[in-house]
Amino acid sequence: MSVTDTVDANLRALLADVLGLGEDRAAALTADSGLFGELPEFDSMAVATVLTEMEDRLGILIDDDEVDGEIFETYGNLLDFAERKVRG
Amino acid sequence: MDEQLFRLSPAGAPRTTVLFVPPLFEEANRTRRTLVLAMRALAAQGFAALLPDLPGQNESLVPLIEADLERWRSALAEIARDVDGPLIVASLRGGCLIDHGAAADAWWRLAPASGASLLRTLLRARVSADREAGIASSIEGLQTAAASEALLLAGNRLSPAMVAQLGAAEVQAVEPLRTVTPGGGEGQIAGTPLWLRAEPGEDAAMARAIAADLALWSRSCGVI
Repeated sequence: MSVTDTVDANLRALLADVLGLGEDRAAALTADSGLFGELPEFDSMAVATVLTEMEDRLGILIDDDEVDGEIFETYGNLLDFAERKVRG
Repeated sequence: MDEQLFRLSPAGAPRTTVLFVPPLFEEANRTRRTLVLAMRALAAQGFAALLPDLPGQNESLVPLIEADLERWRSALAEIARDVDGPLIVASLRGGCLIDHGAAADAWWRLAPASGASLLRTLLRARVSADREAGIASSIEGLQTAAASEALLLAGNRLSPAMVAQLGAAEVQAVEPLRTVTPGGGEGQIAGTPLWLRAEPGEDAAMARAIAADLALWSRSCGVI
């Protein structure tokens, strides 16, 4: 599996766990799917949980200065951010 | 102050008592339904099952600001002392950070979390909520403030002692111990990490898997 595929699979599973999406809805997320402001479950506590779980599951460290609203606008943005962090 | 202790007992004398140590803060609410289902499944197999309120959590009348991990450890040790017969301590997530002071015949831990990781999520939730409210705050700034004042993190007012203890807390070695994680693989508890869910859910199949795994672990430790 390429880095992109691994990060993508991890991120979908993580969002399914935190947002209770179920496998089907998680698999149906596209780059344009809206997250924060779009999914009612995605509140500030969920944002915090997603960030900490990303650190644990992807083996990265996220400096909160890097986190802006844009990252959580769409699934594509979040995936780009995660992949950038994993590649260092 | 005495705290409430939810107890389910089998019809006859219990073969063994399982003392559940719930996850901490919001994660406790997200898992309570499923834990109670697991307790019912255990009672049906002849176990007594206990789910205590930690001081400052759930229905407790103690203000959370007066609680810290040390107090929670002693509270659990006291509950364990009052149990007659064999005892298994079954902890989840942050509960695994406070379960080692209880004298038990065996321990069981589901998805242990480090205190630092729990604290980081709480600090992040505060920073994220502050940002929505147009207030600039940072994890570092909050941590510095926490040395001398209480912090309100995701609805939890935590004392400097609590923040310091949480930031440093790691699971401690106990013996005999079985540690499990949720998942679909062998040796895993069939289910998903309900404690992460933004909207609390429940999972009856996971509750049965928890009870079955505890019953097996109890037998393999010779606790019966």
